[in-house]
Amino acid sequence: MTSEASAETFSGGRAEVTGKRVYRHDVVARTTHWLWTLAMLVLLMSGLQIFNAAPYLDASDKSNPARRVLSFDAHKADGRPVGTTTLFGHSFTTTHLFGYTDDGMGQEDARAFPAWATLPGEQDLADGRRWHLLFAWALFVAWAAYLISAGIRGKLRDLVMRPADFAKLLPMQLYYLRLRKEPPQHGTYNPLQKLTYNVVLFVMFPLIIITGLALSPGVDSALPWLTAVLGGRQFARTWHFTLMALLLGYFATHIMLVVTTGMWNNMRSMITGWFVLGEHDGVGP
Amino acid sequence: MKRRLFVASSLSALGLTACGPVKDSLTNGPFRKVLLSTEKLNHGVIGTHGLAREYRDADVDRNFRVNGLDTPSDATYASLAKGGFREYRLIVDGLAERPQKLSLAELRAAGDRTQITRHDCVEGWSAIGKWRGIPLATVLAMAQPKANARYCVFHCFDIDQSGQHYYESLDLHEAAHPQTVLALDLNDKPLDDDHGAPVRLKIPTQLGYKSAKWVQRIELVANFAPIGGGSGGYWEDQGYEWYAGI
Repeated sequence: MTSEASAETFSGGRAEVTGKRVYRHDVVARTTHWLWTLAMLVLLMSGLQIFNAAPYLDASDKSNPARRVLSFDAHKADGRPVGTTTLFGHSFTTTHLFGYTDDGMGQEDARAFPAWATLPGEQDLADGRRWHLLFAWALFVAWAAYLISAGIRGKLRDLVMRPADFAKLLPMQLYYLRLRKEPPQHGTYNPLQKLTYNVVLFVMFPLIIITGLALSPGVDSALPWLTAVLGGRQFARTWHFTLMALLLGYFATHIMLVVTTGMWNNMRSMITGWFVLGEHDGVGP
Repeated sequence: MKRRLFVASSLSALGLTACGPVKDSLTNGPFRKVLLSTEKLNHGVIGTHGLAREYRDADVDRNFRVNGLDTPSDATYASLAKGGFREYRLIVDGLAERPQKLSLAELRAAGDRTQITRHDCVEGWSAIGKWRGIPLATVLAMAQPKANARYCVFHCFDIDQSGQHYYESLDLHEAAHPQTVLALDLNDKPLDDDHGAPVRLKIPTQLGYKSAKWVQRIELVANFAPIGGGSGGYWEDQGYEWYAGI
């Protein structure tokens, strides 16, 4: 039995519904959520493996050290190896973490990202690419399946940001910061959640897929305008990496909210679908 | 609280250490078949369409980065190089009605195409070079492939430290692409030894490792499984995709 989850409003009269069980996430939403969680993890780690083969990013079409945005290097100082990370011309010593780090074979070596963060662990570009190209499909399938299913079930209406939501962003932020007692009136998702999900679902996911495709010489030949719009192949690589970093930031925020707004309740609702209404309603992850 | 922190950090350290073997068994275990399956899908979806972007003279990298290995140590190659490749003959044979043995002069006379294209290395870097040579399709047409020929295999002079010959292969659709050329010149000069002298393949619609250097012989075949490690190329035998359009 499913309760009228979509009809809930979280502002006003909350005391009466506290403790009530609602069926919040349908089976497609739950499955695709965990599929893209897995896909993002594999894509992140295999992506870092691929990045290690050319550990620098340029804001240009062909490789051009004069347009370098980020690079990882290793050198020796007083006979000891040093790893450095250079961002926009500013160098930081990052020995043991970036630049000169764990090689997955019990030693340290010149490599940008450590073995524990890459897939496979040891330097292996060929297999890193195999993982990355398979799970890129998994991400695409999860993303498309979720949107199609949500569209058919009419759930996109609750999710898509509307002009009225923008006016509620500030009050909602104030509520999060405990500068306001009640959240603004809203539907299934609060305005900040909506904005975040809209940016992730409709901007970041498509862009990370598109910037990845723009790295492919085959796609480049078929759709030359795509790489051109992104500023060239190396620039597309830089965008792809930047989007990864932004998604990582989203992931950190998401986890923080899962943990602080009733972790077990949140986890249960994403595994079984059932969510118990309570004090954290409307401020979830 | 401190104890909890200690337990949590020990568990994460243990988790990270256990990750290595887990990652390894996933990569090389039964799941490997699934990992390899995407290549056919990507080949089908992306394929070889359109033309790679062509650039202006000003975009060219004058010191074009050397991809793969440098000068072959092969003795035949060394003696050919010593003689300025006057004795070099490109062999085109296999499933061909009229097998060919072409000198550099004959190759130059057969066709002339110049293209300034970007070389995209599988590692992630890109460089732009000016390539001049003969469309591969022209050379293959001279040899008249038989009806059952499906691939051309490029046998190269290069041998790695473990004695493996460098080779590559393309299907005849990719071989017929107008920008798939047998290059003789790079940046207005005959190819030097590091860049694949005297003849190399240049296929800008795929990643750099497909552009085999030091081509000695082009063999037309119906199936490349009996050649080398059976995957269609030196890098392919080491796990890289045969379809390198992505």
